[in-house]
Amino acid sequence: MLLPRILAPVRAAAKSPLIPSSRVLDVLRHPNGSAAHAPAPALSFVRHASHQAQGRANGAKDGPGKRLGAKKAGGEYVIPGNIIFRQRGTAWFPGENCKFGRDHCIFATESGYVRYYKDPLLHPKRQYIGVALEKTDKLPYPQNAARRRRLGFVAVQNEPQPKELDGQTVVADLQVGGATGSETSITATARNATTLTVGKGYAYRHANYDIGRVAERANVQVKEFVPGDRWAAWRKSQARKKRNEEAKKLRNAGKKSAKPKARKRRGP
Amino acid sequence: MAPVKPSARQFSACFRCVRGDASFNGAPRRFLSSSAAREELQTTSSTSPPPPPSSTPVDAAKDAAAPKETPEYMKQWGDLDPNAVELKRDERRLIRREGIQPIGSRRRRAIIARDSAAKAEQIPFEQLPYQCFQEARKVLLADREGKLKDIKTQITRIENLKAQDPAVSGGEAKKATRLRSMQNHLNDLIVLADINDPLVKKKFEDGEGDMNKPIYRYLADQKWRKWKRLVLEQRIEQFNLVPDLLPALDPIADVDLAFGRKNIPIGDFVDSAISENPPRLNVQTFERGQKLVTVVVVDADVPVPEKDSLTYRCHFIASNIPIAPDQTSIALSRIQQQSRKTENVDEQQVALSWSPPWAHKGAPYHRLAIFVLEQKDAKALNISEIKNEKRDGFILRSFVDRKQLKPIGVTLFRTKWDESMEGVMQRNGLEKEVDVQFKRKKIEPLPYKRRTERMR
Repeated sequence: MLLPRILAPVRAAAKSPLIPSSRVLDVLRHPNGSAAHAPAPALSFVRHASHQAQGRANGAKDGPGKRLGAKKAGGEYVIPGNIIFRQRGTAWFPGENCKFGRDHCIFATESGYVRYYKDPLLHPKRQYIGVALEKTDKLPYPQNAARRRRLGFVAVQNEPQPKELDGQTVVADLQVGGATGSETSITATARNATTLTVGKGYAYRHANYDIGRVAERANVQVKEFVPGDRWAAWRKSQARKKRNEEAKKLRNAGKKSAKPKARKRRGP
Repeated sequence: MAPVKPSARQFSACFRCVRGDASFNGAPRRFLSSSAAREELQTTSSTSPPPPPSSTPVDAAKDAAAPKETPEYMKQWGDLDPNAVELKRDERRLIRREGIQPIGSRRRRAIIARDSAAKAEQIPFEQLPYQCFQEARKVLLADREGKLKDIKTQITRIENLKAQDPAVSGGEAKKATRLRSMQNHLNDLIVLADINDPLVKKKFEDGEGDMNKPIYRYLADQKWRKWKRLVLEQRIEQFNLVPDLLPALDPIADVDLAFGRKNIPIGDFVDSAISENPPRLNVQTFERGQKLVTVVVVDADVPVPEKDSLTYRCHFIASNIPIAPDQTSIALSRIQQQSRKTENVDEQQVALSWSPPWAHKGAPYHRLAIFVLEQKDAKALNISEIKNEKRDGFILRSFVDRKQLKPIGVTLFRTKWDESMEGVMQRNGLEKEVDVQFKRKKIEPLPYKRRTERMR
C-alpha cells in the first residue's frame, strides 16, 4: 500500500525533464530524494554482527571419539574393579555392588553378573547399573529384605608360633630379650639366614634384618667410637676438610678462574 | 581453669548448660526423676514461690567431714557451697573433700553464687520488679486458666461419650475412634497447660522433672528427638540395621548402653575384655505406664567361610523386664544373676544367657545390635519356649513375628579382633577358633580375550 504523500517525490520526478521515465522510482530508493541530482557513491562494504570468519568458528565438531558407552553387557560376569560403563555426566547411576569412578564411570565392587535396571522406590527417574551376586538374581532386590552379602574372606589356620627360649619375652609382636651378649638377646637368637622372602609382587629378597647383619656374619671389625676423644675428632675433621678442598679443585679444574670480585666498600 | 569475671562466667555457664558436656552421642540423660507415681498436672508450680535454697546439706556435710581430719591442702580450697559451686574445679573439689554432689544445674548454681556475691535478695517471681515481665506472666496465667477450663470440659465430654449408647454415636468402631481422638486432644491440652510455666522449664533443665507427669515426658521426648534420635536414625541407616535385622524400625524409647561405668556411643568399638560381661541398659520411655520388654542382642556379621556368606548369632535374650518412664535401668548382669538364683523357670527372665561377643583375627568387624522389644499388651512370655531358640542362625525378624513383639528401642556396638580377644575366646570354650585367621580371598582376574572373541 503506497500512500499519496510517499508518491509525491515520484510525481515530481515524473514532471522534471532531467529524469527519464524508466528511472522515476529511483527517487524512492534514496532517502533524501535528491539522488537524482547528485548520485552518492554506494558503500561497498558493510559490517554486520561480529562472526569469526577464519578457522573452525564454532569449535571442533568432529574430534576423536571418547569410546564411551557400555563396556560390559547385561548378564556378563565381572570382577571387582571392572569398568562396566563409561559416560559423561550421570546417565547411569551405580546400584548394588557398584560405585562411581572419578569420571562418573561405573565399576564393580563385587564379582557377579551385570544388571541394568530401574529402582522406582529408590528414585523414580534414575537408571542403575548393578552387579548381582548370583546368576539367577534379579535387581533391584526386594526393598526390606536383608542385604545379600558375600564374605570375601577365607579361614586359614595360623602357623604354630616359634618356640620361645627361657627368659625371652615377646610383648605385642616385639621380641624383647636379655641384654646384648646374653644368650636370650635378640642378636643371639638364631635365625635362619638363608631364608628368602617374596618381595613386592615377584622378586625374592633377603629380609631387612638379614641384610642388616651381613657385616656381622662377614666378621667386619669396626673401630670403636670413643666419645670425648678430641684428638681423633680433630684429625678426622682436618682430613675431611682436606678432602673437600681437593674435590673442589678437581671440580674447578676445567673452568677459568674468575677474578675475585672487588668488594664494595661500605661507608664513606 | 582460670576464674572468669562473674558476668562472663555466668554467661559461659549458661552456654555449658545448653550443650551439656556432650559426647558425640548427645548429652547424658538428666531428665529423669522418680517420685510417687501420679499422673497429674503440675498444679502447685506456678502459684507458690520457689523455696529458698536451704543450707542444711552444707551443714550436714560439714558435720560429717569434720571428724575425718581433712588434710591441710584441702582446707586451702576454702568454703565450697554445694548450692553455689559453679567452676568444674570447685565441683570436683566439693565431691572430693565433702563427699557430696553439687545441687541442681550449673546455671542455677552460677546464678545463686552471683546473687549471693552481690548480696541480692531472693525475690519470688510474683514480686520481681519488672513490669513487662509481670504483664507477660499475667497473660500466661490467663492462658493456663483457659486451658484448665478446656481440660475440665473435655473430661466431661469424654465421660458423656463413654456413657452414650454406641448405636447413637454411629457404631462401636466409630465411637472408639472418637474416644481416642478426644483423649489425644485431652493429652495435648494437659501438656499445653504447663508448657509455658517457667518453673517447669527450670525443673526440667535442672533434671528434677518427674517423669510420671506428662509435661516432663513431653519435654524429654522433644529433647531426645532434637539430637539423640537423629544420631540414632543415622546409625541405623548407615550400619544397615534396618534391612539386615528388621524390615522397619521406628524407635520411640531412648536407649543408653554402658559396660560397667563406661558409656558406649552408638556403634562404637568395644574392647572384648570389656564386653565379656553383660552391659547395662538405660531405657527411657516417653509413654505413660509400665511396659514389659524383651531384650535381644544379635550379632549381624557372623562369617560362614564354607558358604562365603554371613549369618546371625544371638548373644542374649531376656524377657518380661518391666520398664516405665521412671524405671529405666536394665542391668543385664543383675538380671542374669537373679535368673541363675531362681529355680522356677517361669520366674526367670533370662532365656539365653550372655555369651561374650567375639570375632576372628582378620575378619571384618561384627555389629552387635541390642533391641528392646515391647511385648504385646504387657503380657509375659513363656521363658521355657524362648530357651529353645537356637543361637546360631538366629533370625530376629521371625522371632519378632512369632512372639508378637514391637521394637521400641535399639542401640549398637561393634567388636573386632583385639589383644584381649584370645583370652576371652579361651575362657568361653572357643580354643579352636583362636588359631583360625581370616584372609582376603584372592579374586582370579578375567582371562584376556580379544575384542572379536568377546563379541562372540
